[in-house]
Amino acid sequence: MITLKNITKTFDKENAVKNITFHLSPGKCVALLGPNGAGKTTTLKMIAGLMHPTSGQVELANGGSGDIRKHIGYLPQHPQFHNWMTGKEFLHYVARLSHISKQESQKLAEQLLDRVGIADAKNRKISKYSGGMKQRLGIAQAMIHKPTVLLLDEPVSALDPIGRRDVLNLMEELKQESTLLYSTHILGDAEEASDEILLMHKGAIVESGSLQEVRKRHQVDKITLRFEGNMQAYKGKIEAFPFVTHTDIQKQNIHVYVQNVHEARDVLLEHVNKEQWPLLFFEVGQTTLEDLFMKVVNEHAMDDHL
Amino acid sequence: MLLTQNAIQFINENLAIIAPLLIIQVVLMITALVSLIRAEATNGPKWMWVLIILFINTIGPIAYFIFGRSHES
Amino acid sequence: MQWMTIYKKECLESARNYKWVWVPLVFILFCIMDPLTTYYLPQILESTGGLPEGATFDMPTPPPANVFMMSISQMNTLGVLVIALITMGTIAGERKSGVAELILVKPVSYTNYVTAKWAAHISLVLLSIFVGLLASWYYVQLLFGDISFIYVLITTAFYGVYIIFVLSISLFMNTWTKVPGFVLFLTISILMILNIISSVFSHLLEWSPTKIPSYLPSLLRSGEVETDLWFASLFTIVTIVLLLFGAIQTLKRKEIV
Repeated sequence: MITLKNITKTFDKENAVKNITFHLSPGKCVALLGPNGAGKTTTLKMIAGLMHPTSGQVELANGGSGDIRKHIGYLPQHPQFHNWMTGKEFLHYVARLSHISKQESQKLAEQLLDRVGIADAKNRKISKYSGGMKQRLGIAQAMIHKPTVLLLDEPVSALDPIGRRDVLNLMEELKQESTLLYSTHILGDAEEASDEILLMHKGAIVESGSLQEVRKRHQVDKITLRFEGNMQAYKGKIEAFPFVTHTDIQKQNIHVYVQNVHEARDVLLEHVNKEQWPLLFFEVGQTTLEDLFMKVVNEHAMDDHL
Repeated sequence: MLLTQNAIQFINENLAIIAPLLIIQVVLMITALVSLIRAEATNGPKWMWVLIILFINTIGPIAYFIFGRSHES
Repeated sequence: MQWMTIYKKECLESARNYKWVWVPLVFILFCIMDPLTTYYLPQILESTGGLPEGATFDMPTPPPANVFMMSISQMNTLGVLVIALITMGTIAGERKSGVAELILVKPVSYTNYVTAKWAAHISLVLLSIFVGLLASWYYVQLLFGDISFIYVLITTAFYGVYIIFVLSISLFMNTWTKVPGFVLFLTISILMILNIISSVFSHLLEWSPTKIPSYLPSLLRSGEVETDLWFASLFTIVTIVLLLFGAIQTLKRKEIV
């Protein structure tokens, strides 16, 4: 559907987006996941045509050379409207701008206002809308010309739990109609609605694929233990075992990443027993997407400190 | 006394000439006040704009239309 | 179609802002201010006691054409300032607030976007100038003497070309920066610089747009359009087209956000 080829965007000699390439296949819902400052918004804006890549191309597969904007609906992170218009007037206006006939525009505006749940406020000035209502109106305006690709920049992160739920449900419906690419810095939002993720970090795509694939790829067996007293004392001793790849301590838990989980479990338990370590908690599991995400975010945070 | 009589006489003689000017100024002032009352937000307090529109002839309403209206509404 | 949509939206916005009311009224006030003060000058001087006891007035009444030209020069200062003020945010403001992001992500032609906004502002400003100068003509006729209405119309038409030029500069500057105040500054600066250059190199720059107002007094008196005025107008129209083209190209190359 839409292909990004070697896109790079440079601001003041700094690469905001570094040589990214990806393909959006039709009918998919893709989450562009990454910490703040990873280059998500810049990427979306380049697809929408609002920013121009320093190098590389955005290509539309079937549409050919026509205006790419016909096929794209875009919701910015903080959508701004002509506040002197009513919600209905604004939707009618953008529909007319998208070359939709007068009657059809009227009809579509009414339908969409109803669909996003702000039909009651359709004749109210947008300046009187709440943040949540503006977000809904923003989604409505992005959908009005039935785009094949919908780009949503942080569609749920500014919303309260109810608004968030509503928008996620709406996105679930929209999946049936168009390809969705939405950015988020919250892993839960990515896991909830998307079929695929693109994990961005410092302007580059560091991981991509379906949720299951990515999960599988980053699954490492891990044993989590907790003892009374200072964890640090046990860290060195545990790392001495041959099957341990590495360990880390988070919030009173020591995570032990291991190669052979069965052997590791038996040996560790035996050792704890023999040495009479004051064990409080023992769990055998696997790393999650969150671990991967946290790893990326932490690296990012550390870079910021340096 | 003589002066006011002169003034009244002057106004009577020139009413046809001055009336359009006065009407335009009043209409401008009323339009500005209507706009101000209906505005949700202004740059600076509303009462201040009321005073400016009422007491600064011509320039007051113009200043309100150009600088007083908040871009939000 | 799309052009009309944007044009109508701009006109609607001007209506909601009361611009269709206040801009014409203000222009009328600007235009009738000078004819009235000139007419009442003796009385004003008398009441402020500016003259010694016993002195008599012997002020020649200025010819009607001169009084009408006072209105035009009032337009040239205060009028141009108001035009620059009301147009300074038309694109810059939309980009600054972020609305432009939603509008220009739709399949909107940049040519339509720029020219429809331009046309909407021209409609408002030309109407205002027309009623203003009409009011001035009325007062000149009433207080100073006969002045040909046809000549007034021709003069107003040529002056309109100059005003469209002023508006086009503002629109062009709108695409260069997101800060409306800076657009105002650039527009006024350019006009002032052009004015200075055209008056210093007066003989070389007969066709400069800013020279148009200086040809108007003789046009108003005789109704004859000088060759220089024809060429200045033609040159101005070409400049207007170039400014619009430049604005469209700049906006295309600029990032909207």
